[in-house]
Amino acid sequence: MAVNAAAALPRLVAVLAVAAFAALPMAGLPAFYDSFFYLVFFWISLATSWAILSGFAGYFSLGHAAFFGIGMYTTAVLTTWFEVPVLLTIPAAAGLAALFGVVIGAVVFRLRRLRGELFALLTLSVTFVIATIILNTPIDGGAGIFMSAVPIPNLLPTPTGSIYLMGFVLCVATLVIAWKVAHSRLGMGLYAIHDDEDVAESKGVPTFRYKIAAFALSAGIAGAVGGVHALYVGFITVAGTFELTVPLFVVLMSVIGGARHWFGPAVGATFITVLLYAFISGGEAMVGRAIVGVILILSILWLPDGVIPAAKAWFARRRPAPKRHSAEVAPVVPAARPVGDRNVLEVRGVTKRFGGLQALSGVDLDVREGEIVGLVGPNGSGKTTLINVISGHYPLSGGTIAVDGAQIGTLSAHEIARRGVARTYQIPRPFTNMTVLENVVAAATFGGAPRPAREIRDEALHWIGFTGLSGKEEMLPAALNLHERKFLELARALAARPKLLLLDEVLSGLNPAEVDNAIRLVRAIRAQGATIVFVEHLMRAVVELSDRVAVLNEGKLFALGAPREVMRDPRVVSIYLGKAYAA
Amino acid sequence: MPSATLLGQALISGVLAGGMYGLLAMGLSLSWGLLRLVNLSHFALAFLSAYIVYELGTKYGVAPWWSAAMVVPLMFAVGASQYWLFDRFRVNELASLLITFSFAVIVEAGIQIYWTADYRRFETHYATESIKAGPFFIPVLDLTMCIVASVLAWGTWMWLRKTYVGKGLRAAAEDADIAAAYGVDHRKLAYILSGIGAAYAGIAGTFIALIATLAPAQIWAWLGVVFAVVIIGRLGNPMGALLAGMLIGASESLAMAVLSPAWAPVVSFSVLIVILLWDPEWL
Amino acid sequence: MNERANAWRRRGVLAGLAAGAASLAAPSILRAAPSGTPVRVGGTLSLTGFLAQTAAIHKIAAEIMVNEINGRNGFLGRPVEYVLLDDQSKPEVARSLYEKLITVDKVDLIQGPYATAPILAAMGVAQRYGKVMIQSSMGIPKLQTYDRAFPATPFGPEPDKTYPNVILDAMASLPHPPKSILVLTSKFPSAQFMAKGMREQAEKRGLKVALYLEYESGNRDFGAIAARVKEADADFLWVGSLGLESNQLLEALHKLDYKPRNHFHLYPAPGPLALSPDGDKALCSTFLEPAEPFLSRPGVKRIAAEFKERATKANLPYAVIDAQAAGMVSEWQILEAAVNGANSLDDKVIADWLKKHRVETIYGSLRFDGPYNHGDAAQLIKQAQNKEWKVVWPKAFAAPGVTLMGT
Repeated sequence: MAVNAAAALPRLVAVLAVAAFAALPMAGLPAFYDSFFYLVFFWISLATSWAILSGFAGYFSLGHAAFFGIGMYTTAVLTTWFEVPVLLTIPAAAGLAALFGVVIGAVVFRLRRLRGELFALLTLSVTFVIATIILNTPIDGGAGIFMSAVPIPNLLPTPTGSIYLMGFVLCVATLVIAWKVAHSRLGMGLYAIHDDEDVAESKGVPTFRYKIAAFALSAGIAGAVGGVHALYVGFITVAGTFELTVPLFVVLMSVIGGARHWFGPAVGATFITVLLYAFISGGEAMVGRAIVGVILILSILWLPDGVIPAAKAWFARRRPAPKRHSAEVAPVVPAARPVGDRNVLEVRGVTKRFGGLQALSGVDLDVREGEIVGLVGPNGSGKTTLINVISGHYPLSGGTIAVDGAQIGTLSAHEIARRGVARTYQIPRPFTNMTVLENVVAAATFGGAPRPAREIRDEALHWIGFTGLSGKEEMLPAALNLHERKFLELARALAARPKLLLLDEVLSGLNPAEVDNAIRLVRAIRAQGATIVFVEHLMRAVVELSDRVAVLNEGKLFALGAPREVMRDPRVVSIYLGKAYAA
Repeated sequence: MPSATLLGQALISGVLAGGMYGLLAMGLSLSWGLLRLVNLSHFALAFLSAYIVYELGTKYGVAPWWSAAMVVPLMFAVGASQYWLFDRFRVNELASLLITFSFAVIVEAGIQIYWTADYRRFETHYATESIKAGPFFIPVLDLTMCIVASVLAWGTWMWLRKTYVGKGLRAAAEDADIAAAYGVDHRKLAYILSGIGAAYAGIAGTFIALIATLAPAQIWAWLGVVFAVVIIGRLGNPMGALLAGMLIGASESLAMAVLSPAWAPVVSFSVLIVILLWDPEWL
Repeated sequence: MNERANAWRRRGVLAGLAAGAASLAAPSILRAAPSGTPVRVGGTLSLTGFLAQTAAIHKIAAEIMVNEINGRNGFLGRPVEYVLLDDQSKPEVARSLYEKLITVDKVDLIQGPYATAPILAAMGVAQRYGKVMIQSSMGIPKLQTYDRAFPATPFGPEPDKTYPNVILDAMASLPHPPKSILVLTSKFPSAQFMAKGMREQAEKRGLKVALYLEYESGNRDFGAIAARVKEADADFLWVGSLGLESNQLLEALHKLDYKPRNHFHLYPAPGPLALSPDGDKALCSTFLEPAEPFLSRPGVKRIAAEFKERATKANLPYAVIDAQAAGMVSEWQILEAAVNGANSLDDKVIADWLKKHRVETIYGSLRFDGPYNHGDAAQLIKQAQNKEWKVVWPKAFAAPGVTLMGT
């Protein structure tokens, strides 16, 4: 009961707050408060919508003014030229802005290079282009659009009250959307994209689709907000709409509040709007501006991750009641089977070129169900490239790859992951802002078949225990040592219930005791029914673990067979140690 | 169809105006590329320098090059102290953007309190002089600025490529820990680099004082285009910044000569978008 | 009907003149100081942000006027208090602050902000609460759709039709009247509005429009535009400029070794343009300059001197009262005349009084009974001569010995 009451309290507070704010225009307060709170809601919606793409997924946009401006001009044009009622223009504003987001995203998100600052520049450039087009076409033409004749919908007795209500409804809707996204599969995928997009894709996150969805939501909300704001401002000019300070303030608000948390931007937006209104008196305007600057600097230095994460950390420190993690249900684990006759993986004539470099030239390899195949070869022989090609990280240049008889050669990495192929990275690449548990849960969510959240959590806890990471569930990956991070890689791969597990040098960098431990673990994994292909330099492990060994040299399959025989083959020895030894 | 003289003249003015974009972009590019700090206050420092040059020139009759000799070391000190703050608080890329934005707000307010928001113009007799070359005119001051910018860009580029200090910096930008293992004192280099970046703002400011009319809100007028120039020129590459500046300047100017001038931003930013999507080898 | 209207108008004019002259000319010492609870007049100016350079002079002008009014009889014998807030150059902030002034601070009266966008934002609020709003800087009169909004500056109802003709008359008076015109304008709404009118009127009067160009407001580089201006080489260059743009354009032209023969600038920064060597003989729009015959208007000498003193103290580079600062003076003169003339603080009564009476202002005698509450247009032309602005047209407003100089 107590637990329920604790969980119900924030919900009760939220409901009361929404009710109180909804009733505010009727409370008889001076109309200024309608306007002021409208502006707070306006900035909350704008900052939160920015955070859905830029905070959650880490695609830092400086182009938020573009979508907001599209919304403003959509409403302004529809209401003044065609006398469409304002309320009908808001969905149009949202839709058009979202459409722009989707179109831009469809081009930009296909190019892996366009991340980080290049994405920021691209969105900024788009803003300038859209602004200039609106300025030079009859949409605005330079004269601005004056909306004084547009009737304000009679939602409440006063016009300020009606606009307040529209802003408030949008704000609540935005926060609900942000909350839903943050607690959904989409949000988990976006957080994974934020931390490491390639890994997210290889764990089964449909990154392209998710980014488009986030961009559409983010742009669409900004468009709707712009639609209402057009009514609030009343006289719309290009210079006033597509200002660079709008995206800068949106970023500032999101970051000060905590851009990765659904409620962070709301906190930041409220803080900064109130701050900007604290110094409006004519006598102190300029000094006030400087004080605002100082306060902003201090808050960023003091709370670099934002208010919400800092508050959460503070609460966590105050109440260090350790959460007990235990699986409530033992997960269903496939029983061990002997090596079967069926091929799980069939690689046929696979080639991979990087520009002029031929990394793989015509590799054939079959791997049977339940088998462990060691992949060895000198540096640059194409081992990791083969892993990357099978997992879909690199597109094929030629040849075919089938898993369980289904062709996967042309699929994207997340689709391959969904078909039961999991991989680890030589240098562990955990999602750095997620806890150990969240890392494994994300891999389980996107890797395996759809199943209830509780089941996924239990399974994740099982694999954390299996890899010896129990007790570290709530830690961030940065707090783990290399050995533990490698095991976290394994736990993530296992949580996806792979048919085929690709391990890339899990043993490198471990001390002898850790290596023994890891070898036991890989055996245990096989005992649970997985088929394994692993790249390894450490010969002791290759010989101990492999059923068969495949030797790659200069992008070709050089030898294949039982480990001890292959490793004694003078030709194999020669490529490893140079011809002189073999002679 | 515009005449060849018009096109040629527009190209000359555009390239020279782009020199200012490049000069402003260089300092920004260095700290962004090599220290991973996005210094939005770069523009504020440039305008602060311009106001100081204006003040010294109009009140005390100090020649701008002597003012520059005072302003540049001052800005170096400001840049180095900014780095102290960033280092002390382990500020990341995003936070540096926001902190320096706030810092620029403070500088803007400070300029307005001391110099008022009214327009200031430092009149000099050489501000509008030109060399005649055939049918074309080449403004002396803009040309000087471009030469200074080119020398600085080339010098900085060589310094980064050829000297131990420069190589250390670039190594540290790639991976600070590994560079430290090879004995690169990243901190000391970072102080120097941050100072140099701000010193460039001082140089740019001196030319702004001579070429432009000053108002506090002008700090923000250059932000969008210079930001674009920095990235197109590749982060941390001063030569790239200068060339990208000239490219944008020239495309803007040619657009103004051929189309309605108000369409110019579409042309220059479309050039940017195309370059970003196309990613040509030569960039 | 007509006669009656004229009769009351005459009476109104006389009453207004009497009130205005009395209030402006009477030495303050003779008056009893106003007493009682102050009448609070609220308003915003863009003290920070990109319009900030305009706010400093308006603030000074307003402070001078509040002092002047309190030195006389105040409003209805009560002292006047100016509640000034900073709208940060943003219309949405201006809107919310006018709501604050009216509904929270409960000011008695309001005074308009500066520039079209904040004025329109404030006008919406004023309309909802039925407040009289006097503003001085909206260059597009037709946007002033609220019947209690009054212009303090005599743009006239259709400045895009009237003012171009004033300019073209001036040009026609030159020994070598221009045959071609080049219209270059910023895409700032009020500048573009005038530029379009200029092109139309010039064509009507048979001038060849050699080129019509629009550039983005805040344009940084004028090199290419200058090259086009030089190539078109029209007899008359009309520039719809704001602030710095005129200086930038003229310098860019100078760099091409080109000097426009006659050039007009709409809303430039007056100080830098007059002081620039390239600004010599530049023409510019104005409504008033601190010279004769304007100084002979009641109170102007005193206000001009006071302005100079305060502006110098505030470290403003161009410490001369000009048409812009005078707009704020006019706003207060109109409000003072209307409140005291109507003998009421009620906005309806004040508005009705204004529609029936003339007010003597620093800009001369203004009326408010035309379309959009505008009266007669009174735009003048000034010229930079020896680094000083001199009103040169219409001739009646030129100081003795000052003439329009052409090339």
